[in-house]
Amino acid sequence: MMRELHVSLNQTQKVRLQAAFQHLSDIGSQASSGLLVSVSDTIPVNNEDGILKGHGTSERDGQVVATVCGVVERVNKLVYVRALRARYKPEVGDIIVGRVIEIAPKRWKLEINFSQDAVLMLQSMNLPDGIQRRRTAVDELNMRTIFEENDVICAEVRGFQHDGSLHLQARSQKYGKLERGQLLRVPAYLVKRRKQHFHDLEQYGVDLILGCNGFIWVGEHVVPADNEMVEDQESTLKDKEQSYTPLEIRQNICRIANSVRLISALGFAISVDAIIDTAEASKSSNVDIKDMLGAEFYVQTAEREVQKRISLLKKKRG
Amino acid sequence: MLQSKSFVKKTKQGRVVKVVREHYLRDDIYCGSVICKVCDTSSARLSSAASAILIIDTNVVLHQIDLLENPAINNVVVLSVVLEEVRNKNMAVYNRIKALCTNAMKNFFVFSNEHHRDTYVKEMVGESPNDRNDRAIRVAAHWYQSHLGGSTQILLITNDRENKKKAIEEGLSAETVESYVRSLEQPNLLDLVVIPTSLDVVKEEFDDPRPSKRKVIYHEHKPMSEITSGLLHRIYHQGKLRVNRYNPFEGYVGSESIGDEIVIYGRVNMNRAFDGDIVAVELLPQDQWTEKSLIVVDDDEDEEDDVHLVPSSVDDAPSNANVAKAFAGSAPTVSSRPIGRVIGIIKRNWSSYCGSLEPMPLPASNGGVAHALFISKDRRIPKIRIQTRQIGNLVDKRIIVAVDSWDCSSKYPFGHYVRTIGKIGDRETESEVVLIENDINSRPFSTQVLACLPPLPWSLSSDDLANPHREDLRHLRVFSVDPPGCKDIDDALHCTPFANGNFEVGVHIADVTNFVHPGTPLDEEAAQRGTSVYLVEKRIDMLPKPLTEDICSLRSDVERLAFSVIWEMTPNAEIISTRYTKSIIKSCAALSYVEAQARMDDSRMIDPLTTDLRNLNTLAKIMRQRRIERGALTLASAEVKFQIDTETHDPLDIGMYQIREANQMIEEFMLAGNVSVAEKILRHFPLCSLLRRHPIPTKEMLEPLLCTAAAVGLDLDISSSKTLADSLDHAVGDDPYFNKLIRILATRCMTQAVYFSSGDLTPAEFHHYGLAAPLYTHFTSPIRRYADVIVHRLLAAALEIAKLPPIFLDGPRLTEIADNLNYRHRNAQMASRASVELHTLIYFRNRPMDTEARIVKMKANGFIVFVPKFGIEGPVYLTSKGDKGTDWTVDEAHQRVTNTSTNVSYCALQTVKIHLEVVEPQPHRPKLELTLINM
Amino acid sequence: MEYVNPLTGFRLDGRRPNEMRQIRGEIGVVAKADGSALFEMGNTKVIAAVYGPREVQNKGQQMDGQALVRCEYSMANFSTGDRARKSKGDRRSTEISLVIRQTMEASILTHLMPRSQIDIFLQVLQADGGTRSACINAATLALADAGIPMRDLVTSCSAGYLCSTPLLDLNYVEDSAGGPDVTVGTLVKMDKVTLLQMDAKLPIEMFTDVLQLAIEGCKAIANYIQEVLLENTKKLECMRGS
Repeated sequence: MMRELHVSLNQTQKVRLQAAFQHLSDIGSQASSGLLVSVSDTIPVNNEDGILKGHGTSERDGQVVATVCGVVERVNKLVYVRALRARYKPEVGDIIVGRVIEIAPKRWKLEINFSQDAVLMLQSMNLPDGIQRRRTAVDELNMRTIFEENDVICAEVRGFQHDGSLHLQARSQKYGKLERGQLLRVPAYLVKRRKQHFHDLEQYGVDLILGCNGFIWVGEHVVPADNEMVEDQESTLKDKEQSYTPLEIRQNICRIANSVRLISALGFAISVDAIIDTAEASKSSNVDIKDMLGAEFYVQTAEREVQKRISLLKKKRG
Repeated sequence: MLQSKSFVKKTKQGRVVKVVREHYLRDDIYCGSVICKVCDTSSARLSSAASAILIIDTNVVLHQIDLLENPAINNVVVLSVVLEEVRNKNMAVYNRIKALCTNAMKNFFVFSNEHHRDTYVKEMVGESPNDRNDRAIRVAAHWYQSHLGGSTQILLITNDRENKKKAIEEGLSAETVESYVRSLEQPNLLDLVVIPTSLDVVKEEFDDPRPSKRKVIYHEHKPMSEITSGLLHRIYHQGKLRVNRYNPFEGYVGSESIGDEIVIYGRVNMNRAFDGDIVAVELLPQDQWTEKSLIVVDDDEDEEDDVHLVPSSVDDAPSNANVAKAFAGSAPTVSSRPIGRVIGIIKRNWSSYCGSLEPMPLPASNGGVAHALFISKDRRIPKIRIQTRQIGNLVDKRIIVAVDSWDCSSKYPFGHYVRTIGKIGDRETESEVVLIENDINSRPFSTQVLACLPPLPWSLSSDDLANPHREDLRHLRVFSVDPPGCKDIDDALHCTPFANGNFEVGVHIADVTNFVHPGTPLDEEAAQRGTSVYLVEKRIDMLPKPLTEDICSLRSDVERLAFSVIWEMTPNAEIISTRYTKSIIKSCAALSYVEAQARMDDSRMIDPLTTDLRNLNTLAKIMRQRRIERGALTLASAEVKFQIDTETHDPLDIGMYQIREANQMIEEFMLAGNVSVAEKILRHFPLCSLLRRHPIPTKEMLEPLLCTAAAVGLDLDISSSKTLADSLDHAVGDDPYFNKLIRILATRCMTQAVYFSSGDLTPAEFHHYGLAAPLYTHFTSPIRRYADVIVHRLLAAALEIAKLPPIFLDGPRLTEIADNLNYRHRNAQMASRASVELHTLIYFRNRPMDTEARIVKMKANGFIVFVPKFGIEGPVYLTSKGDKGTDWTVDEAHQRVTNTSTNVSYCALQTVKIHLEVVEPQPHRPKLELTLINM
Repeated sequence: MEYVNPLTGFRLDGRRPNEMRQIRGEIGVVAKADGSALFEMGNTKVIAAVYGPREVQNKGQQMDGQALVRCEYSMANFSTGDRARKSKGDRRSTEISLVIRQTMEASILTHLMPRSQIDIFLQVLQADGGTRSACINAATLALADAGIPMRDLVTSCSAGYLCSTPLLDLNYVEDSAGGPDVTVGTLVKMDKVTLLQMDAKLPIEMFTDVLQLAIEGCKAIANYIQEVLLENTKKLECMRGS
């Protein structure tokens, strides 16, 4: 979870950054029409009847008030406050990245930046042999061969059980254990729900998973192997051969990861485009990976974002 | 704007702590000048009429406060930095400058320069706090100058040469005090100016009248650092110096570190310390612990005992426990008490003193500066050297003088003239002296105080009748008994027999708290005055006259509000029940003691009122008897009564005050009322009740009594108040006055009873020795004593009639109030005594006479006699002054003095004939002289 | 001791009796925490870090209907002038922790986060009187920053009574005068008091005055906190972009 990098800026950089931030806030206030509220502010609803109070709202003396800081959103009769900095609020179908905390009977428990640990049942997993069948006691004993503690996993939100716990499922090839990469944690509000959360950045040979819960995976590209089970032995052999990741890929992973870090530190929304854009910019201006988190590139990124948003705004208007 | 103050401090435990404090600088502090166009002038005090605005520095306030109090000095800005410094250096002066700043007649304005954005000054590196403060004063002066834009002259008044120089360099106008006062062209003001003795004053202004004597007389005071370390190592001892009221060359320092009093003999050993100063004392080697108190040959001043009133308690009498021992031989004996000398003064207790100039030949040129010696009325104070330009005027006047400094090369301290009271010997002047000496406020009540009074004429309102807490007792036969001519009637009584033989007895006390509300100016004034003061010819009221004599006074035939304590008593005077209530009464008679006594004695009178009186008297006698059995002391005092000429207010006749049964009857019920109330309030407020206690006298205090008694063959048992009371009862001599004399002697050995807050002491200490009561308070005289007002409030709160004022929850504040009441009470008594003494002197001025007297104490060259008829006491000398080779020898054990050649002897308690006459050994110094008439 | 100068009406540090010290709040000072804030009242400086709602660490304490709120108050060794070692679990800290927990719990909508736990850590960096109040204000900011739903903003301020004058926001010197010290915590918009503590005695008439003054102080702090929060929300939203 990142919050403002501790960069030491010199005087001119400070001024530039200040200016960039000022621009951004100007643009922001022009662009967003949403009403900002903080805790205990009343939300004007113009005495409409039948208002439905959603998340982050409550009622006091017949008025709708906010219980969190954020942006007021309206969907027909529903009024809710979209909180910014808060823990992840799961929705069914969200693709998330999590880390195994604990192995319990027939289930794994995962930390996913939610108010509780999420549960991944053994039966919500495809077995390694790929056969659909009842899980046996042996399977249960072999759970560790699938996921161990501290493994990073990609899964999908299945829903809340009646006891209030959150369940996940990973019955697809695209879900499962993530290896050879970095897990980054960013505030959940920076990751928007989109159609696509898996990204294969071909030019880098890197897979990028933007978990809705603010966990972001940057790892070596894995070829989806449909025939895995057929050439079982072969694949293990191949795995052994490729048990290292080439240096270039590793560098790419770092570059992408640092892009994510930078964007999140600046508090910009995280999207594939933004990440690639930042990575490209660093490359084109010959910024070393290690210097990507330095003061100069930090300021440059902010300035580039200003330009981007200005042009976006123009396009919208024009 | 924010500034942080940070400094390093050493704690009491010796740890070093860094203290960081916030210091806010503001932009909303106004200059206080009426003419200012920028500032809010609603609270402005500086008028536009004066020619200049004065800004004074700390030393001006500290040293010239008498001058500042003069109406001629006006339009002064007092900076907060100055105020703060003054407070740290001298609390008394601080209180005076504070009073000046709030006085509506004076235009003194306090400017918070330390919190003003433009005048705050940060300490520079290497700058001493003093320099920093001086700079702050200059910066503030600058600010005023630019702020008011030259519309008024800003004048910095400082006696500090360096400061003045810098100020002028910086473009300010600056003057010394003296030059400023000169510019005012009021020559008399110059007497008020203190001539600084510090080095930066031109030396030629300071001409000692006796330059040849400019040698060191006193030891240098040790530097403060040395004193502090000396105190820490127990080489020196710290304490408050108390000078013997009757022998100014003897002082005592009560020291906690050695747990005993250190005696200090002689001016040299006192080393310029005044009475009340906190001093550091060094003990003399033990072989020098000699008594020299008897005949003091230390000084050329003739100090001798004056004729004075008989002391009524040990507090008034000289501390003379050691005197008796010293009779043993004429050679100085080694004392058991530590003797020391003052080596430094930690805190001065200088104030202004009342007295007159020592008679001296007038200087030839009238109007020039003359030097004179001032003699204080208070003998504990040494003579004070002053400079004046009006010597001719002052010679026969009572004046007030303040002390400024005391150099170790000067025999006497330096001071300055403050004001004149009046002509010496004049009755009014001397009465005022008495009031000033005892710190009694006799000024008329201020308009704010008078504004608190209810509209006049006051009468009972329907609201009072409707008040559920107020019981209507108008149907009762209530009456009062007081001294003749009494106008402030605090108390009244009633006594109704019940069918079962019991009595309902009520004590009704004026309901002063119905009119005096806490926190009002009236209340504050009364709290400050503490008590009414009764002088021979007048009364100084605690409360304004309408309250004292009319609204509160329980006069006959008018409806009055009261606070009542009502008992049901058996015919044996056993209290069955007690009840307290606010009430409305209508007194049917205001009797005098004489009238009441006459009614009771006249068996022909059988009207209901007289019957009530008799019933009460019967009950009172039983109560009194019971009290005496418990061990209450019947003490006697030698109170005298003057008959005053209504025209001239001069005394016409003088005599002992006669105590009748009626007096004792009233006293008894008042005591009972006070005890009942004390119990009630203590039950409700165990931590904040105001009570009165009388400490058990120590053996040392009773020593003089035992000594005298032993000389006449009396054995007194002092193990408890009960045994003492019994022994006193058995002390019957061959003449009727003997017993009373012993009782008078016993009384003077007791300390006075004192007020205290119950939270400050343990219940065992609440005891009242004289009354043999475990609890006692004052409830019955709220018109003339503030303690009773407090107790009324406590009682009302205990009955849930009124809320307890918040002041009662402030423990230290309550203690402060109790201390003030004790102080005021004592001063009021001293003033009364002084007033009687004064009138005694006036009375005898034209009436020399012969009378009988009793010897009470032996002295080396005579004895002290007591004149019962006039209640006075004074020395009779057997040998004339300076005649050392006497034929008289003193036998201490038997209190007897014998002439070896003639074999005439005198012993204690013997009756002698004496001659009383007012003589005037020096002009304007009349005194009463007693001489023995040889039989 | 004159805590209010009778002639100028100023307190020792130059404030008027009804003036608060300078207050300052800053959000997001602890990177690791879900929400964090620094709050200063004059020289009193407090840091608050909020973690959660998160999985309950001690399963025995887990509640099905609501979140578990925990609070830990501690003073830094360097927070006072004499740099004494501050033991963590002493009586005073335990008491203050409890008081703050209860005060904050009254505002947090715990029923919305069942089976979870919220940790509030408070550290006094510099103590100059009124640490309790500063802690509550810092905790409010930090909780809002962590996006934890609350009924209302809890703010706290103290007031005392010295020299017969009600004084707002006592500093250390005034606090050690031994007079009454009333600490009030309020839900400002709801006009409710959630915390009321007093040392020493005070008559009821004075008490209402002092209480009212403290409540006024709370309102002023609430306004300020609201401002800080709104500013922060605005910044986050603007930076994030649409």
